[in-house]
Amino acid sequence: MSASDLPTKEANVLKGHEGAVLAARFNADGNYCLSCGKDRTIRLWNPHRGIHIKTYKSHGREVRDVHVTPDNSKLISCGGDRQVFYWDVSTGRVIRKFRGHESEVNAVKFNEYSSVAVSAGYDQSLRSWDCRSHSTEPIQIIDTFADSVMSVCLTKTEIIAGSVDGTVRTFDIRVGREISDNLGQPVNCISLSNDGNCILASCLDSTLRLLDRTMGELLQEYKGHTCRSFKLDCCLTNTDAHITGGSEDGYIYFWDLVDATVVSRFRAHASVVTSVSYHPKDSCMVTASVDSTIRVWKT
Amino acid sequence: MDERDLVFYGTPIEREEELSSRKKKAVAEASGQLRTLPTWKQEVRDEEGRRRFHGAFTGGYSAGYYNTVGSKEGWAPQTFTSSRKNRAELKQQSILNFLDDDEKADLEGQSLATSTQFDTFGFTASEVARKQADKEQDKRPSAIPGPVPDELVLPAAESIGAKLLLKMGWRHGRSIKDSSTDSLYDARREARKAFIAFSSSDDTKSNIDGDANHVNDHSNSLERPVNDDNLSSQYTPLNALQPKQDLHGLGYDPYKHAPEFREKKRSRVSGTQGPGNSKALTIRDNLFGSKSGKAGPGFGIGALEEYDIEDEDVYTTAYDFEDTVVQEVEDSSKPITDHKHRLTWKEPGILPGFKVASISDYQVEKFNAPEVPKDFVPRHKFAGPLKVEDKTAVPPPPDVPPPEDSNMKVLIEGVATLVGRCGKLFEDLSREKNQSNPSFGFLMGGNGHEYYERKLWEAQQKYKDQKKLPLPSDGKSSQKTEKMNAENRGKILGERPLERSSSSLVSPDVNLQSNLSDTFMKPLQFSELPEVSKPFKDNSAKQERFQQFLKEKYKGGLRSGESGGASNMSEAVRAQERLDFELAAEALEKANRGQQSNLSAQQSMDFLTSAGMQFTSAGVEQSKDTLDKDFEMKKMYPKREENQWRPSPVLCKRFDLVDPYMGKLPPPPRMRGKIDSLVFKAEFIPVPRIGDKTGQNQNRSSGGLQSSAQGVRDGSADEEEDEVVVDVENVERPVDLYKAIFSDDSDEEAETSKVSKVEDPEKKVEVANATLNRLMAGDFLESLGKELGLEVPPDLPPYSHTNQNPSALEKETTGLNPRDGSSVKMVAEVPKSMDDQSPPRGKLDEVKVVKITEEDRKQGSPPPSEDRMDRRHSKRQRRYDSISDSYSSSSGDDSDRDRYSSKSKGRRKKGSSSRDKKSSSSRKHSRRRHHREDVSREYSSSRSSRRDKDRGESKREKRKRRD
Repeated sequence: MSASDLPTKEANVLKGHEGAVLAARFNADGNYCLSCGKDRTIRLWNPHRGIHIKTYKSHGREVRDVHVTPDNSKLISCGGDRQVFYWDVSTGRVIRKFRGHESEVNAVKFNEYSSVAVSAGYDQSLRSWDCRSHSTEPIQIIDTFADSVMSVCLTKTEIIAGSVDGTVRTFDIRVGREISDNLGQPVNCISLSNDGNCILASCLDSTLRLLDRTMGELLQEYKGHTCRSFKLDCCLTNTDAHITGGSEDGYIYFWDLVDATVVSRFRAHASVVTSVSYHPKDSCMVTASVDSTIRVWKT
Repeated sequence: MDERDLVFYGTPIEREEELSSRKKKAVAEASGQLRTLPTWKQEVRDEEGRRRFHGAFTGGYSAGYYNTVGSKEGWAPQTFTSSRKNRAELKQQSILNFLDDDEKADLEGQSLATSTQFDTFGFTASEVARKQADKEQDKRPSAIPGPVPDELVLPAAESIGAKLLLKMGWRHGRSIKDSSTDSLYDARREARKAFIAFSSSDDTKSNIDGDANHVNDHSNSLERPVNDDNLSSQYTPLNALQPKQDLHGLGYDPYKHAPEFREKKRSRVSGTQGPGNSKALTIRDNLFGSKSGKAGPGFGIGALEEYDIEDEDVYTTAYDFEDTVVQEVEDSSKPITDHKHRLTWKEPGILPGFKVASISDYQVEKFNAPEVPKDFVPRHKFAGPLKVEDKTAVPPPPDVPPPEDSNMKVLIEGVATLVGRCGKLFEDLSREKNQSNPSFGFLMGGNGHEYYERKLWEAQQKYKDQKKLPLPSDGKSSQKTEKMNAENRGKILGERPLERSSSSLVSPDVNLQSNLSDTFMKPLQFSELPEVSKPFKDNSAKQERFQQFLKEKYKGGLRSGESGGASNMSEAVRAQERLDFELAAEALEKANRGQQSNLSAQQSMDFLTSAGMQFTSAGVEQSKDTLDKDFEMKKMYPKREENQWRPSPVLCKRFDLVDPYMGKLPPPPRMRGKIDSLVFKAEFIPVPRIGDKTGQNQNRSSGGLQSSAQGVRDGSADEEEDEVVVDVENVERPVDLYKAIFSDDSDEEAETSKVSKVEDPEKKVEVANATLNRLMAGDFLESLGKELGLEVPPDLPPYSHTNQNPSALEKETTGLNPRDGSSVKMVAEVPKSMDDQSPPRGKLDEVKVVKITEEDRKQGSPPPSEDRMDRRHSKRQRRYDSISDSYSSSSGDDSDRDRYSSKSKGRRKKGSSSRDKKSSSSRKHSRRRHHREDVSREYSSSRSSRRDKDRGESKREKRKRRD
């Protein structure tokens, strides 16, 4: 994919959130997107047609992250109210509330089978919740982190999480070991490459770092944007050819994966770009910002 | 002596103190007072004298009939009637049931009833109206004199207006003003006219005029109350005409303190909107409109939750609150104003009941901007404290010959220079400090005071000149040039000052430097230090930072976070530098103090110089070091660590994975059986052995994919291969080791067999630990040696770290078993990973063997026998036997205790595992742990070949370290 195929044209603006939008995520097939924000709601959109489909209200404070199952039937969300909510997508009801985090919950993800949700909290812990049983107790608490856990990714066999203590930790369930890659800088957000071999970690020194997962080598650093105090998302494009991420000045950056040059940058939002999410198949992207809008970008 | 032992006769006299006041009161009341009171005044009190409380819903302080079960009537005999058959009739009681006739008569006159004015449709209307009519009849000059018979004058039960309205389609309970269509409005106006005409004809003639006015003034007719009976249109209270449609709190008026906005708003609404705008729409706008409700800073915080620091809106910059607030108010007030507008008047911008004045007295008061004086210069000049002193010291004190004492002279001059430079404050300080010191008498006006005055003036003069020099644009440049006398010039040129003014040892150009930065600062002691005292002068940036540091240090504790402004430095470097600065500052301070006292100024300068030099060397060197370190740190990251982590069984289940720790560590009881079965499946193990090398070879051949950095490691591959041959030697574990762990017999009994079971589990844990310690130290190696066919001398090097050994042992064993268990499973599932798994174990074990054999050789023991390959199989066999043995031995009746002990051990192990690596004796065991990790690492899929090399390298490193 060449740089010209990057989604730089604004296709839609999704308005509806009041206050900052903290996360926007495509669903598994990329037909819908979910957003959540300071207004304590989760919203479901059709980003391609720019339609607001549904609003999910139940959180007591801001919603920081949301994830949807591959079959689009359930949502998991978390936020400032220290709880993880397990929703039914169609009815909009909360099926279960998982309490246990001692502080705000920064991120949450389903596993492959949507049977477990793993949440990352400010209380320096990862907690995994059972979505199958009726138990609201965490299956397991991982508290080896030394600081707030900001982001979590799940593979088929691993739990990967990035923390402010500067580490990206991989918990291999199959082998039963923890691999901790210390980056020396607070890790804001982590994102897996589509081939699963690399981790992209957004650090608070305004640098994105690409790590080789098997060896823990630093493959590349991507600089140019500003990321010093906010939790900004980053991700790889669907072809893994480019890296994209927001900046605190409202810009969106595209870097070349290999030589780390800024391929494209443009002002997308009036304020901090909190979240970026790339379409799983097409060249399409949604970005969310503090300016309460979500924008859909296409080529 | 207990009181119970005594026998008392008679009534004890109660002591005063023993009685609580309440009790006393209760007793007193009970004794007589209360009896005199009537029943309803008596209060029920308990023993403590408290009023008896029955609960808020059951009577409070008085339940029943004044806290009795009686009634006012007392008890009266009654005949029993079954309530089953004859239900008590419901009696509707009114006040009249309880009144005498005369009382009723009294009431007649003053009973409360709604007046006609407010009760057009009321029930009492007809009655009262009749009376009213009677009264009016008296006053009215009537065609028929005397009282009119009731039959003739019947007041309308329903007002005529209401009747008319009803005929026009109006219904009760509806406001006349509701409908706004013009046709209806017109029709109603006609009706009003008609009914007014009607009522006026019905009423007194005096009213006719007024009513005619009403007819003329349509706009007011609705607002003004029409006469007595004809108030049908008014029955709806006016406030109900303004239903609450906004989202404000009840009774909240957004315009309460700013009525002018209401006016403005109204005019805007009427300008933009037609009267028929639908309310629903505006409300919905309000609720869901995207622009209306931007959340405030406290948005989303419940009433019971505290607004703590986490709730602070980090995004506040993104909002414009003022804007949105105004917007919200506008939106919500739309319905109100719209409504009013429609109701009452057509012209916008007028309050109800008011007209626009044709001539307005009101004039907007205008205030002109303040006039700027012509000579005003828009630049602020800071009046430094020195300048102020300058002015006060304008008349120079007379020149006085210096005192005889040369020491005194030097001291005075020194102090004067300092004070001149640093301000009056310094003088005060030193005066305070040296109050008792006789040599500082000149400060208090004693000996040498005049000389000091003179010197001070000179110093100030000098300082002022120097200070002014760098600011030629001051506007006083002419003055300055005047003051540039020979002395100053000489100083600037570096000439040796004259003897009399030799107080200043400071070269002026230095002062210029510091003054530049100090123009806006209060002059401080250290900011004007001469060049010699600059400890970091060969690093200008650092010197700058040092000066900044000094400034901040003496500012009074308020230090900015960014001291030094060296943002590119790492935290460590900064801290180091800070230490340097502190030291330097301290030295300078000391030097200064020396100057103040009898030390001569020159000496102090020398001292400073030397001190400065000291710091120069040290500081620079160190900073270089730390910079290097910084660089290294950067090179170090990212660094990888691996740890054991135990996923919970449920997690594994949910992830559809096999628990790698199946049944290990804090083993769930039912898992035990599984382990045994797994252990017995061990015959799978040898199979991958054969494939080992091939697997490894494959890995190596695929190693070409790696980055060049790893190519270096390739050379080691051969070595690895050689090592693989040796490996099996100590895969085997001594039998007693397992027994020590898994059977909790006390120490040597483990070897002999399970003879005596120890009593309580706690003791057992202790004993087991002790056993382990001992075993670990000597027995383990000994038995290992035995196993290997070596002779291990009994007096091995002393194991000082014996208490750490068990941890290693535990690690080893726990490491071993999961591997076995999981590997067995893996064979079925992922054969490839099995292939990967074996070689590392071999390698690592080999390392250990090599080490052991080396030791043995040192001890002069025979080398290991050659027939390893032959023994391999048999040994493995034995090993698994032993494992199963140990399990079977422990899985007996004391399996529970067993579990406890192992658990507690495991916990301890965790804590001490970090120390393991340090201790030489346990190093071997802890390597076993690495080994396990290496093995487990093999499971993770793709780039195994790379990892092999990595492992090889790390192993080599370890070996090197050991050597």
